[in-house]
Amino acid sequence: MQDVTKNTLAGIFSQMAAHGWSQSEIDELLEPRMGVITGLQDLLNELEEVRKIDLGTVPPAMGVRNTDTHD
Amino acid sequence: MTDSIAFNDVRTLRALLGSGRVTPTELVDVFAGRIGRYNGLSKAFITVTAETARNQAIRLKRTDLEQSTFAGIPYASKDLFDVKGVLTTAGSKVFHDRVAEADAHVISLLRAAHAISMGKTNLHEFAYGATGENDVFGTAVNAYDPTRLAGGSSSGSAAAVAFGLVPAALGTDTGGSVRAPAALCGLVGIKPTVGRVSTSGVVPYCWTLDHVGVITRTVADCADLLSLVASHDPNDPASINRPPENYADELDLDIAGLRIGVPRNFYYDRADNEILAALEDVKRYLVAQGVTLVPVTFPDMEHSRTVSLTVQMPEALSAHSAYLQRRGELYGADFRAGLALGQCILAEHYIKAKRFLEFYRQRTNRLFDDVDLLLTPATPEIAQKVGTVAIERNGVTETIGNAITRYTSFFNLTGHPALTMPCALHSLGLPIGLQLVGRYFEEKTILRTAQVIARNDRFSIPPPTAAI
Repeated sequence: MQDVTKNTLAGIFSQMAAHGWSQSEIDELLEPRMGVITGLQDLLNELEEVRKIDLGTVPPAMGVRNTDTHD
Repeated sequence: MTDSIAFNDVRTLRALLGSGRVTPTELVDVFAGRIGRYNGLSKAFITVTAETARNQAIRLKRTDLEQSTFAGIPYASKDLFDVKGVLTTAGSKVFHDRVAEADAHVISLLRAAHAISMGKTNLHEFAYGATGENDVFGTAVNAYDPTRLAGGSSSGSAAAVAFGLVPAALGTDTGGSVRAPAALCGLVGIKPTVGRVSTSGVVPYCWTLDHVGVITRTVADCADLLSLVASHDPNDPASINRPPENYADELDLDIAGLRIGVPRNFYYDRADNEILAALEDVKRYLVAQGVTLVPVTFPDMEHSRTVSLTVQMPEALSAHSAYLQRRGELYGADFRAGLALGQCILAEHYIKAKRFLEFYRQRTNRLFDDVDLLLTPATPEIAQKVGTVAIERNGVTETIGNAITRYTSFFNLTGHPALTMPCALHSLGLPIGLQLVGRYFEEKTILRTAQVIARNDRFSIPPPTAAI
């Protein structure tokens, strides 16, 4: 997987249904300076690892409505 | 009436009201006076409704005071909870004109119980962040050292109780936002089982992980307040239809025979040595009370923070989509950056993260086959200075937000009930907290154990001097 670039993000945000993010916000995604978010590239790399993990037939969590007992 | 009663717990205040030595109006006046004097320092409140509170107190009849454990008791709510006729800012300019048309479900329950709302407390904008730093309303600070953070995102709720401005407060907890600030401020905070307390009428941040929680001075007050707000709400699709419970009715039981799990991995790594030492002291005490400590290994949590973020940011983006289009320029820069991050997460990533939640839930439930509770530190660090960006510990640098919620956020993913409470004072004069986690719907076991710990004076801490 190649690293994401500013041009790629700008293209995605302008060519797909998306909110209007500014250049400074795109910059913050790629080079975070506010100390709040993880950089997008780091997140994408981690998501790629997560994507490859086989969870078998585990479904998405749907709450604990029917989990009165502990299993 | 003097300030001397401001640091009493709710049960003591109730006794004063019951005996007639204090009237509800006098109680409101004491706390309103303190808010007037300490809000400039604490930045705990965004909106104070002292006049409305006083009018409500005046109208209370003697018989009303017998209706509930919080009748006549002032409280505050994080400024995400709708209180009819009052501004709900969510700590943001975006909601500068959003006056609530109805009470949130939990507020309506407290209104029916004759509890008295004193106002709305400060928070990280839209609950996005664990430091409580807020450019619009200022940063709520720690009553034990006002140069330090109260912690967030329910920063104002914790500061309001710690500064003695109210004896109890409501907060929300998506990754530790009730438990972490409660621990950093020397208070008791609980996040009940997901779905146990309704979130309807509360501005959402992340539907999957949001929990309503409470912050109080004592375990008993925590149990009493939780008993009032835990009820089924048909307007909240995540609300669980279970009968009301009295969470205080097992507080006097002992804990001999309980099996308490102590994690081998993750929870005792990379923390302040004084915090780890305090937990060792608690463990010894629990063993002396007849508890068996059981080493447990948590599921691999390497990806848990990524999983949490992958659920949070697309949900936050969806929750804010309409406002972004209409008032996008009014959002704070850090929150906008987080929402932009949410725009980059693919549907496959989001679904995979939701499947990880289920995986974590199943694995954590299996831990509870062998133990009744889990014991961890509440936070790996004590309250940090306002403006701190990152913390280094054992050669690892971590952003402050991640550090504050490192031990709490996993239980938002799994939905298990969890409580934090003070257990020692650090040599820097700041509170150290522990966390107890239980099986789904077994809040009573958590509270009973917490009460046994709280009863021992060696785990109690003095009130904060900055607020006296």
